[in-house]
Amino acid sequence: MVHVNPVLEVKDLDVVRSGALVIQDANFTIDSGDYVGLVGPNGGGKTTLMLSILGFLPHVRGVVRIFGQDISRFSSWERVAYISQNATSFDEHFPLTVRELVALGCIRRGNIGRRFRREDWEAVDDSIDFMGLKEATDKRIGQLSGGQKQRAFVAKALARKPEIILLDEPVVGVDSVTQEKFYEKLSNLNTRKGTTIMIATHDLASVFCRMSKVVCVSRQVNVSRIKDDFNPNQLLGKAYGEHFHFVFHKHECKGEFENGRN
Amino acid sequence: MGGIDIFELLGYRFFQNALIGGVLAAIACASVGLFLILRKQAMIGDGLAHTSFGGIALGLLLGINPILTALAVSMLSVLGISYLRRKGMAPSDSAIAVMLALGFSSGLIIISFSHGFNVELFSYLFGSILTIDETDLVIVSLLGLFSLLFLGFFHRELLSMTFDEEESRIMGIPTKSLSLTFDLLVATTIVLSIRVIGIILVVALLVLPGLSALQLDMSFRKTILAATLLSVVSTVLGILLSALSDVATSGLIVFTSALFFLLTIGYKKLQ
Repeated sequence: MVHVNPVLEVKDLDVVRSGALVIQDANFTIDSGDYVGLVGPNGGGKTTLMLSILGFLPHVRGVVRIFGQDISRFSSWERVAYISQNATSFDEHFPLTVRELVALGCIRRGNIGRRFRREDWEAVDDSIDFMGLKEATDKRIGQLSGGQKQRAFVAKALARKPEIILLDEPVVGVDSVTQEKFYEKLSNLNTRKGTTIMIATHDLASVFCRMSKVVCVSRQVNVSRIKDDFNPNQLLGKAYGEHFHFVFHKHECKGEFENGRN
Repeated sequence: MGGIDIFELLGYRFFQNALIGGVLAAIACASVGLFLILRKQAMIGDGLAHTSFGGIALGLLLGINPILTALAVSMLSVLGISYLRRKGMAPSDSAIAVMLALGFSSGLIIISFSHGFNVELFSYLFGSILTIDETDLVIVSLLGLFSLLFLGFFHRELLSMTFDEEESRIMGIPTKSLSLTFDLLVATTIVLSIRVIGIILVVALLVLPGLSALQLDMSFRKTILAATLLSVVSTVLGILLSALSDVATSGLIVFTSALFFLLTIGYKKLQ
């Protein structure tokens, strides 16, 4: 397959963590505008793959290119946003309001030690608005609900207008309605702003309903574009074991859900 | 000091110097201290203060302004702590303990070799803001200005690093060099506060105003302003009460700060 506008290219990647081979021979490409679900069992290597893509973990073999540049030489980090697994498990008493948190997202290599411009503050307010947090602007982040916290961190990531956002299991520990609302916001972000999104998650239904591509990790990495005739079990069986059977009905994706897919 | 009122005191040069030096140290300590609390590094403040004792003793022995030698020793300690940490020779708290012990023991050895500056040394251990001279005031002002300028320019980056260092690195913030510069700033702030409050109690001026302000559950901007206000009020009150009652200034400043801390805790409980 020819990739016209690849954002992320992973070729023959092996990653070793704590002496163990966690990712073996990964090959996939994420194109601009893709909405990618990163799935796999616990301990399968989702976080390892994400950290490796970001250059936090050295790989023993292979190539990672981001916006066409080798990860070791990549410097345009303002084009990338990352929300870690632990982002929302901060000290509840940390003295930050939503607006102050989102403003931190505007810091980039080019404005270190400088005053924010008016456009920066506009981006902050737009991001808060886009994630539906206008009412909570002056609330301390420790006072937010689980779902609001996640949206606040995405708003922070959006403030510097990244071209790709990587999220590591952002909806752990929140109820399913809040999860759905969160995924809907991400779908809107993907379709309206064209932001490329890669999200590590265990919510397989949301992946198959909303996303355009799935990367399945369990040491080995298998990738598939989600099309109408897509059979998830062919892909998931390799990671979760042959006895795993995911029952997925197309009619579960309805209404605004389908808008999420390109 | 029967018969002397506050307005009369304000007319004296020594008292004006004390107030200016005290307020500068209070502002620098409050803002740097708040970051130290949020970064869970309050003990580096105590460690560097004790390390600077070696520098004070060295300055007194060599006849150099002890504030300058204390600054040099504190900064070397910061670099030493950073080196031990970076090379994996000691974790952060142990590296601080090593430097504290090294600096303090060097001071004790220097005192043993020399006689005659025990009284002067005492003033650095417990502070003597009412005897601050013009030279010290210039040094304190310059160090204070440096601290405030650094925080003015980089407070947002420091806040980001304090909140999430890993993500800050991805965002392009030079976290390693800013962390080291911040530690050097802590050393500077401590040294400029030694004349005000002394080596032993300087950690109180670093920690108490920030902790009090944090009890009020406000935004970062309001928290740092509240910490600064509480620090300045405690210091000015401490200096005034000390001049009027002839009680140790540093003791009164810390006591007033601690009182504010208790009041903010009480206020929080009532909410």
